[in-house]
Amino acid sequence: MDRFLSWSRTAFRRSRMENEMDAELRFHIDTYAEDLIRAGVPREEALRRARIEFGGIERVKEEGREARGANLLDELLQDLRYGQRVLRKSPGFAVVAVLTLALGIGATSAIFSVVNAVLLRPLAMSEPSRVMYMQEHWQDVFPGLSVGNYIDIRNENSFFAELCASNSAGFNLETGELPERVDGEIASANYFATFGVQPMVGRVYSAEEDKPGQANVVVVSERLWRTRLHADPSIAGQSIRINGMPTTVVGVMPKSFDPLLNNTELWVPAAFTPTQLADHDDHYLNVMGRLKPGVSATQAQSELDVIARRLQKQYPLYDEGRTFQLQPLATVLLGDQSLSLRLMLAAVGFLLLIACANIANLQLARSRAREKEIAMRAALGASPNRIVRQLLAENLVLGLAGGIVGIFLANWGVAWIVAHGPAEMPRLDQSRVDASTLAFACAATLLSSLLFGLAPALRSASTRLSEVFKSSSGVSGGSRDRIRGLLVVGEVSLALILMLGAGLLIRSALFVSHVDPGFDTANLVVGKVGLPDPGYHDPDVARQTFERMITAAAALPGVDSAAVVSRAPLAGGGSSNGLLAEGKPLDSANLVNSQLQIVSPSYLGTARVPLKTGRDFTPQDTRNSTLVTIVNETLARTMWPGENPIGKRFSCCEIGPKGPMDPVWHEVVGVVADVRAWGLARRVPPEFYIPIAQMPPSAWDWIGRTMDLVVRTHGGSVPARELQSAVASVAPAVPIYQLSTMQHKISSTLERSHFDTFLLTIFAAVALLLSSVGIYGVLSYMVAQRTRDIGIRMALGASRGQIVWNVLGFGVRLAGIGLAVGLAGALAATRLLSSMLYGVRSTDPITFIAVSLILLGVALLASYLPARRAMHVDPMVALRYE
Amino acid sequence: MDKQLDLLQGTLDMLILKAVSLGPLHGYGVLLRIQQISKDRLEIQQGSLYPALYRLEHQGWITSEWGESENKRRAKFYRLTAAGKRRLQAETENWNSMADVIAGILGTKPEEV
Repeated sequence: MDRFLSWSRTAFRRSRMENEMDAELRFHIDTYAEDLIRAGVPREEALRRARIEFGGIERVKEEGREARGANLLDELLQDLRYGQRVLRKSPGFAVVAVLTLALGIGATSAIFSVVNAVLLRPLAMSEPSRVMYMQEHWQDVFPGLSVGNYIDIRNENSFFAELCASNSAGFNLETGELPERVDGEIASANYFATFGVQPMVGRVYSAEEDKPGQANVVVVSERLWRTRLHADPSIAGQSIRINGMPTTVVGVMPKSFDPLLNNTELWVPAAFTPTQLADHDDHYLNVMGRLKPGVSATQAQSELDVIARRLQKQYPLYDEGRTFQLQPLATVLLGDQSLSLRLMLAAVGFLLLIACANIANLQLARSRAREKEIAMRAALGASPNRIVRQLLAENLVLGLAGGIVGIFLANWGVAWIVAHGPAEMPRLDQSRVDASTLAFACAATLLSSLLFGLAPALRSASTRLSEVFKSSSGVSGGSRDRIRGLLVVGEVSLALILMLGAGLLIRSALFVSHVDPGFDTANLVVGKVGLPDPGYHDPDVARQTFERMITAAAALPGVDSAAVVSRAPLAGGGSSNGLLAEGKPLDSANLVNSQLQIVSPSYLGTARVPLKTGRDFTPQDTRNSTLVTIVNETLARTMWPGENPIGKRFSCCEIGPKGPMDPVWHEVVGVVADVRAWGLARRVPPEFYIPIAQMPPSAWDWIGRTMDLVVRTHGGSVPARELQSAVASVAPAVPIYQLSTMQHKISSTLERSHFDTFLLTIFAAVALLLSSVGIYGVLSYMVAQRTRDIGIRMALGASRGQIVWNVLGFGVRLAGIGLAVGLAGALAATRLLSSMLYGVRSTDPITFIAVSLILLGVALLASYLPARRAMHVDPMVALRYE
Repeated sequence: MDKQLDLLQGTLDMLILKAVSLGPLHGYGVLLRIQQISKDRLEIQQGSLYPALYRLEHQGWITSEWGESENKRRAKFYRLTAAGKRRLQAETENWNSMADVIAGILGTKPEEV
């Protein structure tokens, strides 16, 4: 401690100390000279002798500083300056090392931070692992629960502390001049208790308020409260207009509260009516439950199976063959993204390994090249201690530079990913550079740099000089070269795996972008219109409103035709029904699960969905005439394989007047092309179209009185304002939202998969670059070491070609081994990609060959530069070398 | 070679401690006093004195303050601390017993073995 104090004192009072030392030494010399003069020595001579006998004054000062411990700081600064100078003298090494460090640190931290924010960070609720998501399971679909089933399970189960239900819905909110559409949920009163989150302002609604006939209440999100309600702290108890009805705000949920990651802005009571409570037929509810303490998901699942068997017996018509599936909520919400995010993690890990290998490689080459310099310094009296300290300082300079650039890169990378990532990816916007990740990446790369930079240096500092100087006589080899070769092989194989992954995704993306969507996407504009239940409850009113809206939109200048459809392609969602072909017995095995589209007669023409056979809908297809339907080719093929479907009938969607067993038949009048409505890369499900004038009245509730207005324009910009006023002229205070062109919708659904592809391509490119730097480094070093060898061989008659082939061959051999190892690894690794690929197999030979050729080509290029240097070795110069 | 250096250094340190134990001295004074006591039999490299002084001060065995010298100039005077006094005592005992042992060994005659 005392020593430390003394050290720090001296460190901070360096200049004073220097002055005092000067004064003290001068006093000594002067006084000695005076004594000599007094003894009769002439003045000049006395001064000279005093100085000579005192000895080297600078050396005394230096030893004095060292004795006082002042030198540590001094030497550190000196080492840092020296390190910086050394690095500046070999800019190639410095730049490559700093870039490798920065890329390793920056890219790795950026991606990992995003993965952490989206995938690994727990959901913002209390004990998220105890919150389960329940789905029905029927045939191969997993719909939501019917209200009846939900109520029965809620009443009978013993393992859930809370079991809540919700359904997402759009709401027309009037807070400013223009009404706007916000996403919300109708939710049972125990919804908030299930997630264990308290409101930040006011309260949540009570079970009493969650009953039909009560006053309208709403709980709003923090974002809605902030952006639309002026963050009013006394908002609780105030009234706002939702769907045209005055509604009392009772509370505000905290910012992070969005348990289903739906960007939910408000919650209103579900207030199930007695009819709804008894309904076992419509399966749409989100059901979430919090397990009681000590209860496992497996226990809850087996109890659920018992309840399911009872429900199957009690409601054979609705619940036959129906079971319930329980999954952790986090798996349901984040599960589908985990594959691509895990893929990114693997890519990050590979890149970090490659960066570490490269740094190690660079350091090994450098330490070998500097062996002589270090030995020379040791011979001139530098202690091993001092040499190591100086190398450490050099690494510190490198590490600082690499780290700083890396941190910039990481920050920029995260911002870039957030800005360019898919907008609908939940929690992406909450990504921040993760400090611990950054620390880990820094530590990993710097450690490998230190380890491989220092270990050989330490050895050479302690070896006998003679050995070092002997080893320069051309006999290279040894374990270090083997390590370097292994590192390059490893780098190349990891790079190959990354490149293959990227290559497969790129090929898949190319395939997808050439897929025919099944309709004409050019100049097609789509927007959603939702009619509020109050005021438009009557099916006829709702239908006529939409029909008038179509007329108004079609009359707009620049518009060819207009139509409505319950779910436009790529809009997501949709409702499915089990269809029973005429002549088949009512058995769940005979039901064909198909997507229902309710359309205006003008829809197929407006969207230009090609009619394969039969006729299109006409305005004459009404409830009073024969119920007709148009099916897609997949449905026709599934239901009536090899037969002409025109004139065939199936039953679906509603119950006839004589009760549940009375089928309602729809006659097929046309077959249209398959529309890829769920994404270009997705399999097309069976799909059928029903004219809006013939839709079952209850279907208005299924689709939430919301339709997509589809408009074919002459081109140019989206007529947003015109469409808005056309809608408002028919339905006052009803907005049109999510308005965009079809092509924009397609490109944004492609964005998600393209995003992965793009990131992986960057990874692959960086990996390729780093491993070619690795090959280049090994070969350059080899050529430099063997200059004498090469000179001798040339003197003995080897041709330049032979020399070049020798070097190239070595490089290609390294790359070849790496390639072989990488291919073996890739065959296993790319299989994990198969679910992300479209039109390409995970072992696609074209991709494998192309990527291998690219890698070999780059390896050849990286080997060529050192080979050319070897070719230009002058035998005379080489032999005289040293 | 290292060991020789250590021994030499240790000896010089001991001599300095002894010199300042007789009263505060500046660096040049330390040199003069050692020469005076040893009757000029010891040759001390003048410059090597100062690193030794600083080392002893750094270790807390001597302490220094600026004062006025006999020739009316500012000079730095060194004084023994309590720790230095103990150190000197230990070093002296160590040296004496070591000297005894070595003298004994060197004084051994063949018939005594």
